[in-house]
Amino acid sequence: MSGARGADDGTVEVRDLVVRYGPATALDQVSLTVGPAEMVALIGPNGAGKSTVVNTLSGVLKPSAGTVAVRGRLAHVPEGRQVFGDLTVEDNLRLGGRRYKLRDTGPVHAILPRLAELRHRRAGTLSGGEQQMVAVGRALMSRPDVLAVDELSLGLAPLVVADLVRHLRELNETRGLAVLLIEQNARLALDLCSRAYVLEAGRIVAEGPSEELAADDRVSAAYLGGVHD
Amino acid sequence: MTDLPGYLVTGLGTGCGYALVGSGLVAVYRVTRVVNFAQGAFAVVGAMCAASFLTALPHGLGELAAVAVAAVVGLLVGMVALATDPRSALIVTLGLSVFAYAVEVLVWGDQPRSFAGLPGAVTIGDARVQSHYLLVIGVTLPVFAGMALFFTRTGTGKALTACASNPYAAKVIGIDVRRMGWLAFAIGGALGGLAGVLVTPVQQITFDADVTLIVNGFAAAILGGLTRPAVTLAGGLLLGVTQALVAGYGNAAHQTDVALGLMIVVMIWRAAQRQTRGPVEEPV
Amino acid sequence: MKVLIAAAVVTLALPVFLDGKQLGIYVLAGLAAMVTVGLSLLMGQAGQISLGQASFYAIGAYTAGLLSVHGTAPVLGLLAAPVVAAAFAAVVGAGVLRLRGHYLAFATLAMQLILLSVLAQSTWAGGAIGLQGIPRLSVGGFELAEDIQYAYLVWAGLAVVLVVAHNLVRSRPGRGLRALATSEVAAAASGVPVGRYRLAVFTLSAAFAGLAGGIYAFYLGYLGPGSFPVLLSIEYVVMAVVGGLGTLAGGVVGAVAIVLLVQALNELATSPGMPSYAPSVLSYAVYGLLLVVVVLWLPRGIVPALRGKERT
Repeated sequence: MSGARGADDGTVEVRDLVVRYGPATALDQVSLTVGPAEMVALIGPNGAGKSTVVNTLSGVLKPSAGTVAVRGRLAHVPEGRQVFGDLTVEDNLRLGGRRYKLRDTGPVHAILPRLAELRHRRAGTLSGGEQQMVAVGRALMSRPDVLAVDELSLGLAPLVVADLVRHLRELNETRGLAVLLIEQNARLALDLCSRAYVLEAGRIVAEGPSEELAADDRVSAAYLGGVHD
Repeated sequence: MTDLPGYLVTGLGTGCGYALVGSGLVAVYRVTRVVNFAQGAFAVVGAMCAASFLTALPHGLGELAAVAVAAVVGLLVGMVALATDPRSALIVTLGLSVFAYAVEVLVWGDQPRSFAGLPGAVTIGDARVQSHYLLVIGVTLPVFAGMALFFTRTGTGKALTACASNPYAAKVIGIDVRRMGWLAFAIGGALGGLAGVLVTPVQQITFDADVTLIVNGFAAAILGGLTRPAVTLAGGLLLGVTQALVAGYGNAAHQTDVALGLMIVVMIWRAAQRQTRGPVEEPV
Repeated sequence: MKVLIAAAVVTLALPVFLDGKQLGIYVLAGLAAMVTVGLSLLMGQAGQISLGQASFYAIGAYTAGLLSVHGTAPVLGLLAAPVVAAAFAAVVGAGVLRLRGHYLAFATLAMQLILLSVLAQSTWAGGAIGLQGIPRLSVGGFELAEDIQYAYLVWAGLAVVLVVAHNLVRSRPGRGLRALATSEVAAAASGVPVGRYRLAVFTLSAAFAGLAGGIYAFYLGYLGPGSFPVLLSIEYVVMAVVGGLGTLAGGVVGAVAIVLLVQALNELATSPGMPSYAPSVLSYAVYGLLLVVVVLWLPRGIVPALRGKERT
């Protein structure tokens, strides 16, 4: 990665973030941090505002109040396999690096070899799992220090999810990639990440190490409940 | 029947104008989902500017400068139109094209304008056809080829296609979608201006010619669902040839009516198709 | 309600105090209001835009004119005007309305271009010269000969339009339509037959325009294709947008405001020292700027904006 970056690159610090859509408040005084090479989960029910957090981090949305500080490069894997369906896989990847004039898809192919095989296919014709892989690959093209992944597992087969998770973990371990993982599947998120935040109705209602949260009765009942194992 | 080749050439030439106006609509619609009513005005501005510039500049340069002005006008229209949502933008561009009348009448008057194009005529079959029609075709086809290359081979072209394909994802990876929309409007302006510049030597243009141009351009573009430049070219040529044949073998007074009737039939046909397919997004 | 009664009383009393020229403006404003109320419903309630509303005005006018020129009782001609205009709209709309807004916009625009060209070339319609010698409107043995009588005819016509439109807005389908303009998916999901309502509003708006056209034919006694330019259709859009889409009062206020404004501009532009192109340049500039400015900064139009102010 680029040599001009500092040691604590790849950190996110969100303080008292407020986001409003017209009269509605989507996020109310949300604070969270992601440290260097840390994997952090953000869990919560539908409509809690999880996607709003990432959309603000990647600059798609503007904060109404509060601060968002990202050190280093942040790349965003949006919810719902948001690929450019009319373009080839290769073009999708290249566009991911466009902002930083990074055109070489080799490093991403090395991480996700399947994308090399699919390079000339139109992204719109791929399976859901493959499209999600394109979205992850496209985000990696910018050689990010932080990856914000919005709903990695949604609508994907368990095997596909396991494969993507393996890639994420590997990137984290070998390259020190920090990850902010937004997940409805709280069990998956808590297993993968060391620390987690629980977002409900636009507010952080719980935070802490994953094991503690998993042991917490309320969190467990709300997000891990119904699974008797 | 030996008049036929002549009719075909004049029809193709006129059709190129419609195709260029239509492809301007497509360029803007794909990226912004705005149906730009001012697309016809770009052609008028281009034509009027060329008529003025050519009094001082040589051929080639004068036309190019006129196309450049049209592109700038396109950019300005885009900056205003994209300040609102796509549905309201149709009304905004309608307003801007009426406002353009005021400027055009003020600057160029309300009389028809024209300027000399490629001089001479060629014999095709038994008919004499103005050579300029061949020039129109000879310029339009490479422009469409160039556009295809631009959208599929260049980074900016791909970024524009990305905005058309998935504006949210484009924002996520840091593409300035609004700026891309402005660029699309500038391209639309240039294409419209080119249409005006090319067609005016064989068809005089008045400030309110934009209505006929936009309707015919829309008719050409609608065949491809407003998203496919290649189909728009085919649609424009079909429209031009149909008009030339109606004028040649039937009644010249009804040439536009037939073409517009054709457009309504195509739209109803598309409507029926959508009805059977269900309300899916149009393919891009 | 108080405002409505006051407006009715004032507009009823007004013609008595107007001179010949002012009566003409009164009639034109009333006719424009009839057309605009329909267009405003179409744009605001059904979320559709028609760029050829003047063609329904023309169809109504020519229907009434042709029938009465050929010996039909004028009152029957007047009744036929909205029916024929509505029938045209139903045919065009049935096919095109299933598509998105801009398809209807261009289909109606194309329809108007075709109509104008056909009218200009048809000897039965008087060709480019137009249809002359349309008799005055008469009911039984009573003939409407004075401008003031036409002013009251227009008043009555607008009243009919407003009552019909009001009932449509208040009906269950009307409430469904409002949902339709905001979210088609939501409307469809809640069981509103989207296509049928849109077609109904489009047809009704054409009927309103047709009725206005019928009155216009008898008022003027002469019709030509040049009386119904594309710009007239655009003027109706300006009136509807400026007044406020989807509100009945908006249609009326928009039409009256624009007619008066254009009248004032004409006075200004034809005053001594102004160049010959001043009237057209001024009106184009004002129409264009009004559309842009209202859509960008006053998207709900003046009537809803004023109402909003009252409440706060």
